[in-house]
Amino acid sequence: MLALITRRLMTAIPTLLVIILASFFLMRLAPGGPFDGERPLDPATQAALQQAYGLDRPLWEQAWLYISRLVQGDFGPSLVYRDFTVSELIAQGLPISLTLGGLAIVLALMIGVTAGLFAAVRAGQAADKTIMMLATVATALPTFVTGPALALFFGLWLGLLPVSGTGQGGAWLIMPVVALALPVSGAIAKLTRAGLASVLKQDHIRTARARGLPEVKILFKHGLRPALVPVASYLGPAAAGLLTGAVVVETVFGLPGLGRYFVQGALNRDYPLVLGVVTLYAALIILFNLFADLIYGWLDPRMREG
Amino acid sequence: MLKRHLPLALVLLIAALALLLPFFLPWSYDQIDWDAVRAPAFSEPHIFGTDDIGRDRLARLAAGTRITLLVAMAAALVSLVVGIAWGATAGWIGGKVDELMMRIVDGLYALPFMFIVILLMVVFGRSILLVFVGIGLVEWLTMARVVRGQVMALKQRPFILAAEAAGTPSTTIVLRHILPNIAGVALAYLMLTVPQVVMVESFLSFLGLGVQEPLTSLGILVKEGADDMDMAPLGLLLPGGLLVLILVCLTIEGERLRDRFS
Amino acid sequence: MSLYEIDQLAVEIAGKRLVQNVSLTVEAGQCTAIIGGSGSGKSLTCLTPFGLSPGIASGAMILDGIDLASADHQQLRNARSRLTGFVFQQPQTALTPHLTVGSQLQEAAMQAGSPRPSRKELALMLERVGLTRADERLDQFPHRLSGGERQRVMIAAAIAHHPKLLIADEPTSALDASLRAEIMDLLDELRAEHQLGMLLVSHDLASVEGHADQLVVMAKGRLVEKGATRTIITRPAKDYTRRLIAATPRLDEAPPKLGQPGEPLLETVDVGVEFPRPGWRSGKIRAVVNADIMIRQGESLALVGGSGSGKSTLGRAIAGIGPVTSGEIRWQGAPLPGRRQRNLAMRQLIQPVFQDPVASLDPQWRVEDIVSEPLRNLRPGLIAVDRSEMARQAMLEVDLTEDFLSRSPASLSGGQAQRVAIARAVIAAPQLLVLDEATSALDPLVGAEILDLLLRLQADNGLSLLFITHDVAAARRICHRIAVMEEGRIVESGAMQAVIEHPKHPATQRLVAAS
Repeated sequence: MLALITRRLMTAIPTLLVIILASFFLMRLAPGGPFDGERPLDPATQAALQQAYGLDRPLWEQAWLYISRLVQGDFGPSLVYRDFTVSELIAQGLPISLTLGGLAIVLALMIGVTAGLFAAVRAGQAADKTIMMLATVATALPTFVTGPALALFFGLWLGLLPVSGTGQGGAWLIMPVVALALPVSGAIAKLTRAGLASVLKQDHIRTARARGLPEVKILFKHGLRPALVPVASYLGPAAAGLLTGAVVVETVFGLPGLGRYFVQGALNRDYPLVLGVVTLYAALIILFNLFADLIYGWLDPRMREG
Repeated sequence: MLKRHLPLALVLLIAALALLLPFFLPWSYDQIDWDAVRAPAFSEPHIFGTDDIGRDRLARLAAGTRITLLVAMAAALVSLVVGIAWGATAGWIGGKVDELMMRIVDGLYALPFMFIVILLMVVFGRSILLVFVGIGLVEWLTMARVVRGQVMALKQRPFILAAEAAGTPSTTIVLRHILPNIAGVALAYLMLTVPQVVMVESFLSFLGLGVQEPLTSLGILVKEGADDMDMAPLGLLLPGGLLVLILVCLTIEGERLRDRFS
Repeated sequence: MSLYEIDQLAVEIAGKRLVQNVSLTVEAGQCTAIIGGSGSGKSLTCLTPFGLSPGIASGAMILDGIDLASADHQQLRNARSRLTGFVFQQPQTALTPHLTVGSQLQEAAMQAGSPRPSRKELALMLERVGLTRADERLDQFPHRLSGGERQRVMIAAAIAHHPKLLIADEPTSALDASLRAEIMDLLDELRAEHQLGMLLVSHDLASVEGHADQLVVMAKGRLVEKGATRTIITRPAKDYTRRLIAATPRLDEAPPKLGQPGEPLLETVDVGVEFPRPGWRSGKIRAVVNADIMIRQGESLALVGGSGSGKSTLGRAIAGIGPVTSGEIRWQGAPLPGRRQRNLAMRQLIQPVFQDPVASLDPQWRVEDIVSEPLRNLRPGLIAVDRSEMARQAMLEVDLTEDFLSRSPASLSGGQAQRVAIARAVIAAPQLLVLDEATSALDPLVGAEILDLLLRLQADNGLSLLFITHDVAAARRICHRIAVMEEGRIVESGAMQAVIEHPKHPATQRLVAAS
C-alpha cells in the first residue's frame, strides 16, 4: 500500500514539472504581452516593466527562477492585478472553487450511486429504463446551459435563489453546485448500474446465493464494492471536469473563484496567474487520482498489487 | 429501423435543416433587420423573433448548428485517426514501448485538459481550424485506450498466431485481422466522441475562446442568450435546448453502438 | 427413502425446453455422478431445482422430505442455506474478491443459523480440507491463493454448515491435472465422514468412475441411461454410453498401433525462454529452461505438464510464434532462426493448432479464406482457382463437406471449428504439427474423433506431431514418446509405455496418477 503511494508520488512530481514547463513555454510563444494595453506604453516604460518582472532574461532562466520560487510556495506577482501576488489571488479564489467542486462531487456521488443501485436492482423494468434515460440526459447537460437556465427559472422568474455573488448563508451555492453535479451524477449512475449488472452475473454472487443469503445482503456485502470500481476510476476525470465546469459556473454566477481568475488571466496574458492556476489544478487532479487509486485497493484487493 | 434509431434520425434532420434553411430564409445569420430589433417569437417574418440587435434567431440557430456539427465531426475524425494510430501501435508492439505510450496517455488523462486547450487558443489565436485540431488532440485519449485494449486482447488470440505461422506479414495481420475486428468498437467510440467534442467546442465558444465572430456556434448563441436572458429568455432557451437535444441523441446512439460491440 | 430424488425433471429457459425427463436419486453417504458433454443439460439439472440457474424447473424434486418444485422463494433459500453445500467449477471467480477467506468461511458456517464460530474453529475447518498455515490464510484475500487452495476453501465453505447434500459442478475441471485426484479423494473422505450425499457433475468419465456409486449419463438434455457405476462401465446398455466409454482414453487400454518413425527432424538444444516482468520491474520470468527435445519424421512426441510448466511456451518457440532467448532449434541438423527471421520456406515446415477452436478462427473471415490463408503467403505462385481447389481438398481431408467453405466461424460447433483449424494447418503440406491442447476443450466424443483424424493424417502423410497436453491418457493414444515438463524444465522423457509403467520423477508420477 505504502509502496503504491510512493510510486505514484514519484511519477506525480515529474508529471507536474512537465505540465508547468509546457504551460510556461507555451505562454511565452504567444504573440503580444501583458503590457499591450489600449494605449501603447513608451519603449522606456515597457523596458522598465519587462526588467522589473524579469521578462527580459533568457527563457530558461525565467523558467528556472519560476520553479525555484514555486518550490518555496511563491507563485510570483500578478501582472494584471498589480496590487496582488498570485498567491493572494489563489488564497482568495481557491476556497470558493474547492467548496463548489467538493459539494458537487459529494452530491453527484450520492445521487448517482443511489440511482444506479436502484436501477440495477430493478434491471429491465420500467424504473430502470426511466432512470437510465434520465441519467443519459443528465450527462448531456453542459454547465453553461444549465447554469444560465437555472438562474433564469429559480433566480429571475421564481425569485427563489440569488443569481449572482456569494451573499449571506449558503443559498448562493445551490444553483452552481446543482449545475456542476448534474452531468457527473448522470455518469456515476450509469457506471454504477453497469458495474452492478456485470458483477451480479459473476460466479461469486452465485456462491453467495447458494448459501441462501438474502438478496439485500448479497447486493451490499458481495456485489457493491467490486461494482464501484468503474466509479472510482471515473473520479479523476470527474474532478477535472468539475474544475473546468467551475470556470463556467463562476463566470455565470459571478463568483470570485479560481476559474474566473484563470479565464481573465488567460485573456490578459497574466503569465504568473495562469501558470499558478494551471499548476494548482494539475496538482489537485493528480492528488485526486492518487486518492482514486487508494479507493481501488479497498474496493478490490486484487488491485493493491498494482 | 426508424423507430430504433430515432435519436440518430433526429440529429440528421437537425443537420439537414441547418444546411438547407439558409437557402429558404430571406435573412442571413449576421444580417440586421433594423425594422425588427428584439422582435418577439412568431412575428412575421421572423419565426423565432430577432435578437437584441435585430438578427433573425432561426438563421443564427441554423448557422450555429452548422459550425458546431462541422467542428464536431472534424475533431472526432482527428481523434479517431490519432487514437487508432497511437492505441494500435502501443498494443501491437507491446512491452516497454506500450508501457511508455500508455503512461503518456495516463499522464495526459490526469491533466486539466480544458486549461491546456484554453492556453492553446490564447497562444495561437482563435481560429476555427485550431479549435478542432485542439479538441481532436484532446479527445483521442479514450480512443487510444480502447483501441489499445482491443489490440492487446486480439494479439493473444490464436488466430493471430496462426496467421503469423501461416507466413502472413505483420502489416497484413494488422490490416486484415486486427483492424476489421476493432472497427465496430472504434465506430462506437467515435460516435461517443462527437457529443464530447460538441460539448468542448460550445464550452470554449461560450467563454469567447472558440469560434469567433462573425462566425457563430451554439456555444456563442448560448452565451449571447445568457447575457440577455432577463430581456429575452428565448435567446437562451432555444440554442440551449437544441444543444442539449443534439448531445442527448448522439450519446444515446453512441452508447447503444458501444453496448452492441463490447 | 432417498436423501434427494428428482423425478421427471424438465428445465426451460425463455420458453425453450433444454432438459426433459431426467430422474435420479442421491443416497446419504453416496455419490451420484452426472456425465455428459457440453449442451447435455447436466449443470442445469443439478442447479435449476435450487434456483441457481436462469432456468425454470418442473417435475418433482424432493430433498430430505421437502418438495423443491412447490417451494416458494423463501423456502428455497431456506433449503439452500440448511441442507445443501455447493462447489463450483471456477475457483478463481467463485469466491468474493474483496472479502477475506476467514470472513467468507464464517459467513458459510453461519448460513444455517449456527452461532459465530471462533477463529480456532475456522482454522480447523481449513486444516481439515488440507490447507497448511490455516490461521494465516484466514486473513488472506482469495487472489493470494492458488487455484487448488481456493477450491479447498470452497469445499470447506460448502460443508461448514453441515449440509446433507453436497453438489459439486465440475469441481476439478479448472484445476491442474495433478491436483484433480487429490481434490476428488478429499471429497470422498468428507462424504464418508459426514454421511453426505453428493451430486457430482462432470464431462469426464475417467475422473469420476472411481468415486461415484451411481452414474447418470446425459446427452442433449435427456437421460441416456443410469445405474450402478460398475454396471454401466462394464455393460453399457446404450450405444451412446458405449461410444463415450470407448472415447475416454485410459491408461490400461490396449496400446495403439503407430507407424515406424524415420530420421530426426526437429531438435531443440538448450532452449530457454525468458520474459521480462510486467511493468518496469527488473528481473526475468524463466518460462523454459534448457529444454532438449527431439522429434523424428513421422513420430508423435507428447509434451506433458501442468499449467505454467512452460510446455505451451516451448511449443510456440518451436512453431516460430513465440520468443527464444537462448539455445537453438534445429531442423534436420540445420539451425532454425527465431520468430522474426523465419522465411516462408521455414514457416511452411511447421504449423500450429490451438486449444480454443473458436478463438483460432478470425470471426470476420469466411472459412474458405481462413483455410487458404497459408497458401496466399507460403505458395505465392498459386492462382485463385487452385487455392479454392486445395481448400476443398483440405476440407475433405478433415472430414468436412465443401459447403462449409462459405460458412462463418460463428456458425461452427467446437469440433467443426477444430477441424477447420487443422485443415488450415495441413493445407500447405507441413512436416510437423504443434498441437497445443488441441483436444482439451472438446467434448470427449469429439476429442476422440480429432485424435483419430490426427492418427490418420500421420499415417497418410508421414506427419510428425508435437502433442502438448496435460492428459497422459489422451497422449498415449497417438504418441510414440513422452517428455514431461515442470517449472520450465524437461524432467523426464522416454518411450510412452515405459514412462507410464515406471514414472521416475514425482511430476510424472502425479500426472500418471491423475489420468
